[in-house]
Amino acid sequence: MSARERILERVRDALREREPGEHPGAFEGWRPSSSPSPGNPIDLLASMLESAGAEVVRLPTEKAATSWIRTLTTEFASVTIGVTVPRALHPPISTRGSHEAELGVSMARAAIAETGSLLMDARDGRRSQLLAPTHVVIVRAENVHETFLEALRSVRDDLPSAIGLHSGPSKSADIAQTLVTGVHGPGRLIAVVIGVGS
Amino acid sequence: MRVSLFATCLGDQFFAEACADAVRLLRQLGVDVDVPKGQTCCGQPAYNAGRRADAVSMAQYTLGVLRDTDYVVLPSGSCAGMIRCFYPGLVGAEADAARALAARTFELSQFVVEVLGVARLGDGLRGRRIAYHHSCHALRELGVREAPVSLLAGCGAEVVEWKAAEECCGFGGLFSAKLPEVSAAMADHKLDTLPEIDLVTSTDGGCLLQLGGRAAKRRTGPPFRHLASVLWDGAREASRA
Amino acid sequence: MSGHGTPGGYRQQSAETIRDRPQTRQSVLSGTDRANDHRDHAYADIDSDRWRDWGRDVKTHALTHLDRYLEEAERSLEASGVRVHWAETAADALTVLRGIVREHDVKSVVKAKSMLTEELGVNEHLERLAVHVRETDLGEYIVQLLGEPPSHIVAPVMHLSLDDCRRLFHERLGTPLDGDPETLVAAAREALREEFLAADLGISGGNFLVAETGTVALIENEGNIRLSTSLPRVYVAFVGIEKIVPRFEDLAGFIQLTTRAATGQAIGNYVSFIQGPRTDDEVDGPEEMHVVLVDNGRTGLLADDTAWEALRCVRCGACLNICPVYRQTGGHAYGWTYSGPIGAIIAPGLLGLEKSMPLPYASSLCGACADVCPVRIPIPELLVHWRERAVDAGLTSKVEGIGLAAFAAAAAHPTLYGAGAALLRLAPWQSAGRALPVLGGWMQERTAPEPSPKNFRALWRDGIE
Repeated sequence: MSARERILERVRDALREREPGEHPGAFEGWRPSSSPSPGNPIDLLASMLESAGAEVVRLPTEKAATSWIRTLTTEFASVTIGVTVPRALHPPISTRGSHEAELGVSMARAAIAETGSLLMDARDGRRSQLLAPTHVVIVRAENVHETFLEALRSVRDDLPSAIGLHSGPSKSADIAQTLVTGVHGPGRLIAVVIGVGS
Repeated sequence: MRVSLFATCLGDQFFAEACADAVRLLRQLGVDVDVPKGQTCCGQPAYNAGRRADAVSMAQYTLGVLRDTDYVVLPSGSCAGMIRCFYPGLVGAEADAARALAARTFELSQFVVEVLGVARLGDGLRGRRIAYHHSCHALRELGVREAPVSLLAGCGAEVVEWKAAEECCGFGGLFSAKLPEVSAAMADHKLDTLPEIDLVTSTDGGCLLQLGGRAAKRRTGPPFRHLASVLWDGAREASRA
Repeated sequence: MSGHGTPGGYRQQSAETIRDRPQTRQSVLSGTDRANDHRDHAYADIDSDRWRDWGRDVKTHALTHLDRYLEEAERSLEASGVRVHWAETAADALTVLRGIVREHDVKSVVKAKSMLTEELGVNEHLERLAVHVRETDLGEYIVQLLGEPPSHIVAPVMHLSLDDCRRLFHERLGTPLDGDPETLVAAAREALREEFLAADLGISGGNFLVAETGTVALIENEGNIRLSTSLPRVYVAFVGIEKIVPRFEDLAGFIQLTTRAATGQAIGNYVSFIQGPRTDDEVDGPEEMHVVLVDNGRTGLLADDTAWEALRCVRCGACLNICPVYRQTGGHAYGWTYSGPIGAIIAPGLLGLEKSMPLPYASSLCGACADVCPVRIPIPELLVHWRERAVDAGLTSKVEGIGLAAFAAAAAHPTLYGAGAALLRLAPWQSAGRALPVLGGWMQERTAPEPSPKNFRALWRDGIE
């Protein structure tokens, strides 16, 4: 008998007389009846991200985003760009290896309003999502889900090797419970939502 | 209305006057009080120590002592909690009788507020600044949180804000003697965070012995008085009116 | 496991901490105060009763169907190209690791924070293999430099002050002695960046393992877990078999519930859902991924009709933060990987009851832990359960046993009881008490209680006005 068989056998023995429990169904994020309604998902996403120390920019079109990116990136010498970022949104500055670039630009597959999270797909490239000290993440308004459950259901049938939920700049309060940003991941996170009036 | 008082082992030996004050208070509220003969200990120390057989025998014995009662009132949240929450699971074949006993068993302030429906006892605590220590079992087993505080305030006391009010004092029965250093540190945390007050009170004698004993060792601290006595102080003025 | 005490040394270890390291106690009291406030607010924002009921019910369902879900998880993992290993003991898990290290000639490892890898002794094992292993979580990095184990499940250096960190960083990274936290963190970031980029192997634990999709879910704030699991060529996740959840969408509830309970945040700053090694259409990520499913006593716990409920634990640390006993010392006093209330209820399953003593007694049974547990583990009930087992196994004090048995016997015979009580009054407590067992413990730290001049039964007999 292999280790696998022995472990499974011990599990079965342990459960022989145990009353089984039923799965209670999907998680519905119940709130107290007195809590305010979430309002517009984009507003909620922005307010959650901003509370966590990220910056949020809302732009009506890809064209407006192109122009905004051009302006932002005059401050940076080099960039690493995620594979799924549309050409039009590539900053016009020199690209560098992900471990050397000052700026990272990624395309998020989705976002979650209730937790203030940007859903990153490994197919965009993990290194460009993690190594540069400033991180711009672009997401389309129609991919902003109100709830975590909806977002997971939307990606469930097409999962990459890894999904990362990013909800703010890298942070830690390990040292004397003092909050510090930019620990290992990017210390500055800018979320760009395309397809809304600003 | 007939109420049977179960004094508890600690109450009988160390808080006799508080038990007497409980009797006085209940009588003033128009209740007949009796004290069932042969009462000793509810069995909690044995149960908490993992000595189930001892706990079972004490529970069965106490169940017998309290058989012929209408209401049982205790000057202790933890002992009332023991009877209400744990007796049904301990007494085997007599579980139904235990459940019936549980349903008619109350801590003193809980009884006054929830069964007698009394909110104001008198004016006797006017101007007193009091810190109320929540005994863990009163709070979490009986769900007694508001009753003692509202009765104290109803007697004119100012019940002060105390961030550590709901934290365990470190008694835990035998825990206090088996792990005395940690137990004392727990008491110290309570004492160190007390605001300026005239006295500290609680439903439970064990908690008062723990906090009072530690304060005395440190030669510090306010007076510690059992809730039954403090409420009687609050009420007795009314009896003179 | 570390050389820093044992559960058996709890009384001495806790007494020493309180007596000799008051700073530790203060750091832990203030750190846990903050954590408790955050958790209170986070629970108040949601219908916490319904969330916790849901968490309890999903975990109960998963555990009562664990064999089925373990098999499903294995299938999902293998379908994504993950190599799955089953480890019955810590030694078996380390053997798997040794195989991977040798196969890939691993020289350096970056590690994400994982209590399971502490339990298994992964770091010590890698060091014996002459492999450089670097903890990348800031708090774990600090205790690694200090040569200590972490003192809390979620906040490894809750027991240290700012000055402790300043001194350490000054010595090891050359930061100024008065450096603020930002300065210390910047130095750590730079030092660790090199390690992330150079490592051959990344190691993590697993907060959850999804049966349906083979997803390893990990929660963090710093980004070191995303980096440790993305940059090296080979990645290994160690996951306790109890971490299984059935469906991918169950993560929506567990990630939020666990984070709110642990730190009061709506979600961890970075959450990773890892399904496998890089696919052909991806530009980066590990080429090879392994998951080691670890038993190490968990099936033993599962077999216990009462204690199995402890396996629902999501390792949030909320019970540690609220525990008035834990708060006086921090985690090191418990002498084992898992401290506080959860440590006390799983130790007898993972270490055996004898080696766990007196942890099930390191509690006043106040019940605050059960009030905050996100998956509603009835911790006080489980503590009493283990105490009953300890009594049955003869692991408790004989003197205490005799004393309690005598008390119980007297309690059923009121005349005997009354006689005992009378003796109580005659004994010279204040002078001789310290020498007595049990009472001596009381008197070490408190004055002896004064019995009432007349006991209540006497007052009643004489008539109460």
